Amino acid sequence: MAKLIALLRRHALLIIALLLLMAPHVTSQYEFYVVERGVQNAIHVLGLLILIGYSGMLSLGSAALLATGAYTYGILLVKLGLSPLLGAVLAVAFTTAVGTGLALPAFRLAGPFLVVTTVGFGEIVRILLLNLEPVTGGAYGLAGFANLLPDPNAVYYLMVVVLFLVAVATERIGRSRLGLALKALREDEVAAQVMGVDVRRAKMVAFALSAMLAGLSGVFLANLTGYLSPDSFTSAESATYLLMVVMGGMQSVVGAVISSLVITSLPEVLRFLSSSRLLVYSLVLLVYLRLNWVRTRSLSTWSGARMLGVLTGAGKGKGRS
Amino acid sequence: MAERESSGDVVLETRGLTKRFGGLVAVNDLSIDVHKGRICALIGPNGSGKTTVLNLITGIYRNDGGSVSFLGQPLHMLPSHSICWLGIARTFQNIRILGSETVFENALLGKGYGHGGASILDTVLDSSRYRRDMATCAAEVNEILDFVGLLDLKEERARNLPYGKQRILEIARALVTNPKLLLLDEPAAGLNSQEINALMELIRRINQRGISILLIEHRMELVGNLADWVFVLNHGSKIAEGAFDVIKENPDVIQAYLGKGRH
Repeated sequence: MAKLIALLRRHALLIIALLLLMAPHVTSQYEFYVVERGVQNAIHVLGLLILIGYSGMLSLGSAALLATGAYTYGILLVKLGLSPLLGAVLAVAFTTAVGTGLALPAFRLAGPFLVVTTVGFGEIVRILLLNLEPVTGGAYGLAGFANLLPDPNAVYYLMVVVLFLVAVATERIGRSRLGLALKALREDEVAAQVMGVDVRRAKMVAFALSAMLAGLSGVFLANLTGYLSPDSFTSAESATYLLMVVMGGMQSVVGAVISSLVITSLPEVLRFLSSSRLLVYSLVLLVYLRLNWVRTRSLSTWSGARMLGVLTGAGKGKGRS
Repeated sequence: MAERESSGDVVLETRGLTKRFGGLVAVNDLSIDVHKGRICALIGPNGSGKTTVLNLITGIYRNDGGSVSFLGQPLHMLPSHSICWLGIARTFQNIRILGSETVFENALLGKGYGHGGASILDTVLDSSRYRRDMATCAAEVNEILDFVGLLDLKEERARNLPYGKQRILEIARALVTNPKLLLLDEPAAGLNSQEINALMELIRRINQRGISILLIEHRMELVGNLADWVFVLNHGSKIAEGAFDVIKENPDVIQAYLGKGRH
């Protein structure tokens, strides 16, 4: 039995990927869409795992990077008539560049100050999307771009393969010297510096990797929805992505993937509750966090759980625990 | 010993080093030379600016005046990681290890980041270059852990180690950076006498590897036992330097430590 569990754990990613590959055959059309979104979110959340979980730099601007990827893809296809593949490559590259730029404030700011900066970035992007109407379509949104692959199922299979590869890569980064440098940033920046960790470079790499995955996820998002609107990229969305990282255990790749899939589908699973749906959703999350099933201590100074408490108003009046 | 005295090689040199915090002059016009292969000690009453000197040397603080040079190269304005790469490693007065990582990972951190090693692409692809780099690093780390006697604890989480072993781990991490000069900030703080004896032995063995040492210490038996040369700091200024046996008779030093006589 113990052997079986060890085996399952070792190949957890592969098992998840295989299960996901079966999804189109066993789900209804609507359920399938939810799974698709889950996979797409998971790619994004793995980027956040590197940034938030490994490196301890909290970002609430991730939805804006997702938007950058999605909109760049859409605009390049609709306005410039590029091919989907070229559009996707350029969109990911551009998002990576933008996200790396976000590392600049992180050179000087940490903890809540960095969070505020990323929230600001998120708002700037959302307002730009709303107001640059000739380019982005403004509040009307943007539509009419082609998919990466003509067959929608093929896009899904591609996404699952990408998720699997990204997950393996993220796990390898976690175990590498880079991963160790990032964890050192999180726990003690001064010690890291003195031990020969080029802190700025490590921060830039963390932001770049995380933005790259946000861009990739954004391109897939555009493919899944076929329509982009600034409403899908608010800071509330960013908080949900943060939640996915926290619930996944902050350190675990498998955890992040599972939690992305679960949290994406939870509101849909709870839909039968109609009006009390959001209440139950919040309760489930709070109970989960309260029971300490997740190790949320990793963010030493500004824990993800406390941050979520602040965001939802749930942690009011509670001291440091 | 005589050979050491005659060798004029200066590893670390500070000239007129000054640091102010607002109105407080924490380090004032400090000039010291650490010679190659020596164990030097920096002593002085609490608040005399000893740790500030280490922070200035390792680039954590920027100096307001004077200069620091290492093997003839000025360190002014270099970031801490570059100073580490040049060959200066240090430990901290209050231990700064990564509690939730293993002993091995803590030591591996001494290999730094951004200075050689495999690229991200190699890492992600698990290429042979990445594996070779990791194998080389692991061999070096294991050698150091063996040298300090922590090899059998390498898979243990650092926070589970007893206090004394955490101090040794910090020294091991500093050694992994492959330093030419090791700065130890009160390495004996919080250790019992048995652990202090083992520490002195370790510091000597480190010195025998050809690593020069500058240590801050309050325990005079340790300083007297180890240090070839002692610098005494009071209120940020150097008030004396010399061999320990000479220093301890120096009236200025006695006054700084014990206060002025009433008669």
